[in-house]
Amino acid sequence: MSKRFYGRCEYPGQVTAEAIVAPKYLQGFTNVDPFSGYTTERNHPLCRVPYTGKVLVFYSPRGSGGFLMYGFGAKPAAFVHTKSSPLTVGAIVQARIPSISDFEEDPLPFIESGDTVFVNADEGYIEVTKKGSA
Amino acid sequence: MSLFAAPNLTDEEKRILDGGEGIVKQKCMEYLVELCQISGAERLVDLNGTGDMHTPGLNLSQHHVITLDELSDFADRGGRFKIPTFADKSPFMDQPPIHGWEHCNLCAGKRPDARQDDPIFHEKAMQRETFQILQKMGLITTHSCANYLVMSYLPSVGQHCSWFESSQQTYCNATLGARTNFDGTLATCLLGKAPYYDMHITENRHGTIMVTTDRLITSDIEWDVYGFAVGEACDVEVPIVNNTVIPNTTQYQKFNSAIATGGAVRMYHLPGITPEAPTASFAAGGKPIKEYIHIDEAALRRTYDVLNYRNKDDIDMVYLGCPHLNIVDLMTLALKLEGKKCKIPLWIVTAPWLYAPAKELGYLEKFEKAGALLLSGTCLAAVGSVPDGVRNIAVDTAKQAYYITGCYPDENDPLYVSYGSTDECIDAALTGKWRGEWR
Repeated sequence: MSKRFYGRCEYPGQVTAEAIVAPKYLQGFTNVDPFSGYTTERNHPLCRVPYTGKVLVFYSPRGSGGFLMYGFGAKPAAFVHTKSSPLTVGAIVQARIPSISDFEEDPLPFIESGDTVFVNADEGYIEVTKKGSA
Repeated sequence: MSLFAAPNLTDEEKRILDGGEGIVKQKCMEYLVELCQISGAERLVDLNGTGDMHTPGLNLSQHHVITLDELSDFADRGGRFKIPTFADKSPFMDQPPIHGWEHCNLCAGKRPDARQDDPIFHEKAMQRETFQILQKMGLITTHSCANYLVMSYLPSVGQHCSWFESSQQTYCNATLGARTNFDGTLATCLLGKAPYYDMHITENRHGTIMVTTDRLITSDIEWDVYGFAVGEACDVEVPIVNNTVIPNTTQYQKFNSAIATGGAVRMYHLPGITPEAPTASFAAGGKPIKEYIHIDEAALRRTYDVLNYRNKDDIDMVYLGCPHLNIVDLMTLALKLEGKKCKIPLWIVTAPWLYAPAKELGYLEKFEKAGALLLSGTCLAAVGSVPDGVRNIAVDTAKQAYYITGCYPDENDPLYVSYGSTDECIDAALTGKWRGEWR
């Protein structure tokens, strides 16, 4: 099963990769390790779960401008997120990876970690294929 | 739909982008254009307020790098900051304390070759050559995450600014009523321009969520815990925050840093208190409220518990100064510590420009007699470590409580945090024990 969601291209490019979904706001600064490619926030469900090379799916960041560190080092393959803000702008200008936000229909309730996501930022959509479906 | 569209630039901006005013301004403009493309901003706004940038800041991003030679040449040719620009505390791990570094027994980023109390490392980390060039261009080197405490030149209501530090975003937008996004860099401050979106636009500053709580928010720790809880509940929305007294400067510092840690709040209103909120209805721009959120006693308690991460009541060290302490905080601490003796290290951190007054007023001597260390211009979380052997630290701000543990992600060797009021932290410094509790 797959479904397409249309949004606003924040940074162009196309990539297909596995999704990693943050069920809670993501935080930067000391609460991300850009060299290892995972969040280090205590209490966070993704603490020490690598996002490198995956489509990082989240609602919104929170906290310091140090969120931009998600754009350094062992960075994700793409950003897919519900809400854009100056914090996401700061991360994307660092990362320069395909990024989409401000969707017509929020894709977050549909995407689970392990799903395959085709991010076509050039044409402003993502296509989510559920894990286990051919 | 137009994707990744270039912004509309004026003739002057186009000339800068084409290199007509040199390589430094060109790189700055290229960076701003890319920010516009990512954010969807259709144009730049001319800044008429002030700038706050993390220094040295020559790397606008990994892809927009200004070399020291280019900057030096720019300065030699008369290149200046377009708006009054202040240095924030550097976010880079090597950043040295400006004062007290001789006693700062920790290694930046836990690197053994980066001991902050090593004179050779300190001298290198001060990056004097770079700062001389930046100062030549007009940078005012306050080196503080709370540089509004010492600016002596605050932006006025409605002025367009470009600040960076998260806790200063809220100070600028909500407390002062000036307008900033998270974008204070060499690019914005040097060109005096920023992407025109988000908090520069009046409609985006209107309150969208009404927040209430059960108790009247009065004490410093209540402002701090409430701030984190409101941030978590509202994230990127603009909350209208009720049930508080009028905050003092210390409480604004705590609330502004906590709300921008628990969430991504960069603007809020306190009805009848903050400049753009004579009433709740005015703060909402006359529009309907999207959501009503009540933060009850249980939610405040949960937030307090989240900020605490403790496995025993023995404390190794106490850290006060996030954000950097104001002069009244220093005075209060000095008087409370007079005649007392700390049992464990107590670090007190302030803005560099408040160090000399603290010395002149006798606070430094009182701290030293009590065995406390006064530092300036630094931050444990930003340096990325605590002194050797410290595994249980006590702090009095949500921001430091929630960030410092991220520096120690190893489950087998964690850093524990006891979070509470300033008085509870002082008690811990004098006894080595944690006796704080939520009240």
